[in-house]
Amino acid sequence: MEGGLLRVDLTTGTIKKERIPHALFERWVGGSGINDWLMWEHFLKHDPMCDPRSPDNIFIFGVGPLAGVGSGIGVKGRLTFKSPCYGIFGDSAGGGKFPYMVRFSGFDYIVVTGKAPKPVYLHICNEEVTICDATHLWGKGCEETHEMLKQELGDYPSTTHTLSIGQAGENQVGIAGVVSDGWRIHARSGGGGVMGSKNLKAIAVQGNGGVKIDNPNGLLEWSDDFRQKLDGNEAAYGFKRRGTLGAVEMYQRIGGNFWRNNQGALFRGEEVRSDNWVKKYHKYSEVCSSDCYIACDGRYKIEGHESEQAKKFVGETFRHPEYLTTASGAGAMDIRDWAEVAHWGKITNDYGIDNQDLSCSIGFIMELKQRELISDRDVEELFGKPQSLEWGNIEDIEELVKNVSYQTNPFGWLFRDGAYWGALRYSEQKGQNFMKYAIYGKGGASFTEEMRPFPTWMNNMAVASRGSDHLKGIGLIEKFQRKDLSKAYFGTPIAGDPTVPDLKGACTAVLENQVALINSYGVCLFHWLLDPLSYAPESYYGEAYTAVTGIDRTKEERMLDGERICNLEKAYNSRLGLRREHDTICERWMHEPCPEGPNKGRVAADMFEQVLDEYYEWRGWDKETGLQTRKKLEELGMEDVADVLAADNAIAGESRSGRAVHVEMKASDDPGIPD
Amino acid sequence: MITVQAEYTARFKEITQITSETIQLEQPHMAELAQILTTKYGERMEALLIDPKTQDLNTNGTLFVDSTGRRLFIDDTLADGETVSFMVGIAGG
Ligand code: SF4
Repeated sequence: MEGGLLRVDLTTGTIKKERIPHALFERWVGGSGINDWLMWEHFLKHDPMCDPRSPDNIFIFGVGPLAGVGSGIGVKGRLTFKSPCYGIFGDSAGGGKFPYMVRFSGFDYIVVTGKAPKPVYLHICNEEVTICDATHLWGKGCEETHEMLKQELGDYPSTTHTLSIGQAGENQVGIAGVVSDGWRIHARSGGGGVMGSKNLKAIAVQGNGGVKIDNPNGLLEWSDDFRQKLDGNEAAYGFKRRGTLGAVEMYQRIGGNFWRNNQGALFRGEEVRSDNWVKKYHKYSEVCSSDCYIACDGRYKIEGHESEQAKKFVGETFRHPEYLTTASGAGAMDIRDWAEVAHWGKITNDYGIDNQDLSCSIGFIMELKQRELISDRDVEELFGKPQSLEWGNIEDIEELVKNVSYQTNPFGWLFRDGAYWGALRYSEQKGQNFMKYAIYGKGGASFTEEMRPFPTWMNNMAVASRGSDHLKGIGLIEKFQRKDLSKAYFGTPIAGDPTVPDLKGACTAVLENQVALINSYGVCLFHWLLDPLSYAPESYYGEAYTAVTGIDRTKEERMLDGERICNLEKAYNSRLGLRREHDTICERWMHEPCPEGPNKGRVAADMFEQVLDEYYEWRGWDKETGLQTRKKLEELGMEDVADVLAADNAIAGESRSGRAVHVEMKASDDPGIPD
Repeated sequence: MITVQAEYTARFKEITQITSETIQLEQPHMAELAQILTTKYGERMEALLIDPKTQDLNTNGTLFVDSTGRRLFIDDTLADGETVSFMVGIAGG
């Protein structure tokens, strides 16, 4: 197995093509694992403490070995960079056709460094790479950018597929995402802000080459077996119809929803509590853009008869709202109509901004207004005019989305890196402490689900390498009370009981390793979630990986591969000065009792430290500092990484002279408050 | 004899074509409720409800809870007047 690597330095305009050797796949699997290594290597030569918006930051797109091979597990591309909003390790996944089109063009990884003197886009056409002027695209939203590039580049030698940023990325908003083919956002960590800081508007790719498979017959057999397994899975059929949206009603019953900046744990609006949108809205195209046997994705169109509010958006097309788009719109900001929720999803996608962080920024300021902690005059100072800040008011919300995306007023500037940094800056500005109303976990990243009753979920938010997030550790065993899975994983049902702390830290550690494997194969998480034992990444998916790459492993070795990748992400953050105290969550989650639902009264603090201790134990890290130990790194064959950490005084129990790194985690350059 | 309320969401709602119903059980057992539902709604319901490998309630991609939000397994006992919700158990986005 070898991979194609494209390196582009936008400062010098240099383009280099290299090969990723087999040995790197042996060590880092592929996909996110190799991305992580490319970033690690980069920051051995560049200052890891660099401003993420500076030319020294790196922007990596990578795709795993299982992408584009017709296996039906779904394809996910991965972006990796230093996060401009949280100042720590950043990465983000996204589907669509872009990832495998990159492979068909001859590359698996694209590394962009430096900064172009003016807006550019990168055109990759079967290994021919050109840096093109993007002045005409600057200022456009993601959908229009994609359409213009499709027009411009045509359908030969293949259709054109794109990654682009919208206005938020152009303005280097920290929480800006990167959008695939104009409609599927890589939302987390702020990749759009990094692209914007490099004046890189888009990457367009065309390719009609193939992908080398080590054992094609083996892969065909595997793929056939996988399809048959999924065919017999009735839950997969249900998931195809709704995607993750079925979670709204489920969370309503287990108390997992998030309402009005998490002042509540249950949605209110009758309409958005149901899955009426499936019945009412017209699905005009079913989109499985991702080599996926499930195909949960689809495009919908608002016709105007669906609700009174829908009349405002007649003709608007949108990707169906996923659970988190709904949780941010209907939950965090209390929008109560499906057409408005869909519109929220559409505009955040088009401006290219993460709706998790943004909804918590908007929810924060709405809550201050609701509690009369800010006056009408304060509001005018923030927005330059009166603003109702009424919960659920879509017109108001749309203005606030523009304020942040275009950086047009103090609210936009303050909250460009999300709710935590915005709340901190605003508290400093006003000389008052508003932090108890800010929703965040590690790094200051926000998330719109109720955390307090779910100890693994809560721990995931505190330790995820890219900052508070659900997709690194997954709360599968505890949140869904999977005592059966707990027995299979740990020999006891206790991890499936969310009311006790036992094995909750262990769940984070083990599932992070599995997720790291899936992300490194470059496939979707959902198939695995539908049947975690049958589709285990270290065994069943591992067989497909072996057929493609020729790299054979025992299941134990594959779990170590996943663990190695998690340790590399951790090591990068340790170099930045992150320690145990940074593995934390916000005050509301930690100390404020869950206000309603079946888990009323629960607070995270009851179990937080115990679960975190257990997590470090399972990881083999030092509980006191949260740092990695040389012993663990050596077990994983990471002596080289241990040496770098030791030189930075970022490994447990080894204190040396040399660079003393222990800085406060910080977002890049505080924007300050303009006069 | 006890009475329970069955509530259906998502795929369960499509199969049953209703959002809830009242069901009488001879024995207060989840196993009996599952049996009644598979008989009444046929193969698709059975495929969603029962794991053929374990003959327990299917846990993959589904979640069945009582009114306190506690997950139910086949050998659980139900109280008279209990509400059982049949849901999909997958989230994200
Ligand atoms: S399951 Fe859904 S999100 Fe995953 S690859 Fe398939 S269509 Fe995409």
